[in-house]
Amino acid sequence: MEARPALSIQRSGTQQLNNCGPSGALSTSFPVLPSALEEKYPNLPDSQQVPVERQFKPCTSTVVSPISSSSGVVGHMFSSSSGLSTDLHFSSVSQQEKHSRQSPFISQSTSCGTSMLFQQASHSGVLQSTASSQYTKENNDTSWCTDSLDFLDYPINQNNPLDSCNTGEILPSEDLNKRNWQEWADQLISDDDALTSSWNELIAETNVTDPGLKVPQQSTTFSIQQPQASQQLPASSGETGPVVPPTPSGSGAPTKQRMRWTPELHEAFVEAVNKLGGSERATPKGVLKLMKVEGLTIYHVKSHLQKYRTARYKPEPSEGSSEKKHALIDDLSSLDLKSGIEITEALRLQMEVQKRLHEQLEIQRNLQLRIEEQGRYLQMMFEKQCKSGLDLLKGSSSNLENPLTDLTEPVLKSPDKSNLGVSEGNDHKMDEVGEKQKSPENEVPENLEATATDTPNSPPPKRAKLDE
Amino acid sequence: MKFGKRLKQQIQESLPGWRDKFLSYKDLKQLLNLISSAPPVLSGSVEYVRAESEFVVLLNKEIDKLNSFFMEKEEDFIIRHKELQQRIQRMIAKSGSEASEIDYKAEMRKIRKDIVDFHGEMVLLINYSNVNYTGLAKILKKYDKRTGGLLRLPFIQKVLQQPFFTTDLISKLIKECEITIDSLFPAPAEKKARGEIEAITVAGEGIFRNTVAALLTMQEIRRGSSTYSHFSLPPLNLPDTDVVKSLQLSSPIPIP
Repeated sequence: MEARPALSIQRSGTQQLNNCGPSGALSTSFPVLPSALEEKYPNLPDSQQVPVERQFKPCTSTVVSPISSSSGVVGHMFSSSSGLSTDLHFSSVSQQEKHSRQSPFISQSTSCGTSMLFQQASHSGVLQSTASSQYTKENNDTSWCTDSLDFLDYPINQNNPLDSCNTGEILPSEDLNKRNWQEWADQLISDDDALTSSWNELIAETNVTDPGLKVPQQSTTFSIQQPQASQQLPASSGETGPVVPPTPSGSGAPTKQRMRWTPELHEAFVEAVNKLGGSERATPKGVLKLMKVEGLTIYHVKSHLQKYRTARYKPEPSEGSSEKKHALIDDLSSLDLKSGIEITEALRLQMEVQKRLHEQLEIQRNLQLRIEEQGRYLQMMFEKQCKSGLDLLKGSSSNLENPLTDLTEPVLKSPDKSNLGVSEGNDHKMDEVGEKQKSPENEVPENLEATATDTPNSPPPKRAKLDE
Repeated sequence: MKFGKRLKQQIQESLPGWRDKFLSYKDLKQLLNLISSAPPVLSGSVEYVRAESEFVVLLNKEIDKLNSFFMEKEEDFIIRHKELQQRIQRMIAKSGSEASEIDYKAEMRKIRKDIVDFHGEMVLLINYSNVNYTGLAKILKKYDKRTGGLLRLPFIQKVLQQPFFTTDLISKLIKECEITIDSLFPAPAEKKARGEIEAITVAGEGIFRNTVAALLTMQEIRRGSSTYSHFSLPPLNLPDTDVVKSLQLSSPIPIP
């Protein structure tokens, strides 16, 4: 697991607050909230409310102060991620209300990595009702976050439930800023089964409905993604690889996770169906047994079988008024060859256009991927730069200068194109548009974050080195 | 709101069942406006945080929606693909017996038509994926710009791995389809009058209309805009834009 510097800060912040007085402005808001919470969520057990309340007290103020000492831009980061962590509150509340705990997975993982932020957002607890209503309306499909919100359910006065999700490393506060987003992003990207299983335990402890629903979905999604590619490679026997990993908490709760079918899997399905005597005769249970694919549930098979039957007995039920076209063809089929040729030509034209669109889409997609990849690369380069800058700082005797200027200098020094990593979100497409440049913006603090850690294999040689 | 308009156009031209499955770009944009107009969070603003969280909630919801629609269509396509292959094989087997010339021809035409439509729908699904991705990228970029947040980069990395964006399987099916189609269609005949062909093709043909619209919309979207940066996609220059445009009709012509 990643380090959670936010946690350490929160703890120290808590102590601070308890010792000295919190900033006046924030504390005045506190008394208002608990009552608001109570009236909005009367059905919540008290134990649920208490920890939420308690979170209010510690620290919004202490969280703010270390950050504000840095640049103002960091505050933005702070604020935007606070919105994410607010979601945690939403879902924790909505869980109590009911069922599907889908969604703001991004926020979930954010909370893990940036606990202080959700305290900041805690005063928005009043607003939870709106968001939670959104939640309950959501469908129960897989979403793509690793963590569940459940840790919020734990009374905060216990050791610190967040401990379970991190290794509790203590880092200096300057790393905090960039760590937050890194943690958050890494959380999103990584599939942490250990975390998931610990969540499961926690889930079991609290009275939450649909215990196994969210967590397995999360890990499932990821597992589905990765094997997906490999599955399209030659799949041997009818038993394809782990398309759907076994859900950790395989309770009676019907997992409504969506399964991503592949041609190989479908082949196995068809084989099984044929063995059982055809699509009409085959039962989902029988097919499931025959297929012997791990993680495949009867619900998947059932829905797939339904689609299969429809496809067989009503071939090509394509949308777009194909019925009209069928009528057209039937009429013309009785006519002579000429119309046949016309139709063929028309189809050919249609094909041409379709092929053209496909081609363009492929190109566009590749471009988009490349853009993002370069963005990531630049980000990483920049982070390296920051790190080396920080190391320099640590080594330097006097810390009177603004640390950020030290960071900006090396970046500014490097002449041209490669400097673009500095500007947030305005990365250049180096290869294609190398000549054009954007003046590097000095928004260094904004980029004090690291995202994906994987390196592009071959950085374009055109880029000047950032390290000088 | 140039993209928003284009998206709307695209949605209007899209197949009926798909129309409500696109990204709710407008809603996201409205939330974003809310966020920008709300007083900054550090002054203890509640609306700001609320709007922000709603934004993220909506983002996630949208992604779920896109994913599930995409995967469902993908599943459908896998099944149809197999079925088409079987139909073709059956037809080829039958053609040896010379049961009925007319039946064979009718079946052949039907299969050709079906497979071309199938190809078209798959391409449209990829277009769907792409359009939605573009919308997400744009709205995230706007978000970062307006709020100074850093949501875009990690979020988009996540999006890149989502089922609805990983369209390799569909691409593969499309290519297989093209190969099959090449074998099904005879060598190109002499050029027929364009008008006749267009009339037949465009009439009530949702897929074709949608495809043409998609191509043109793509070109429009990628035209340089005020926010065109070196980070944007280069303009798309279709060689036969005029031809493609001529295929675009304002409304379907019903054939009596």
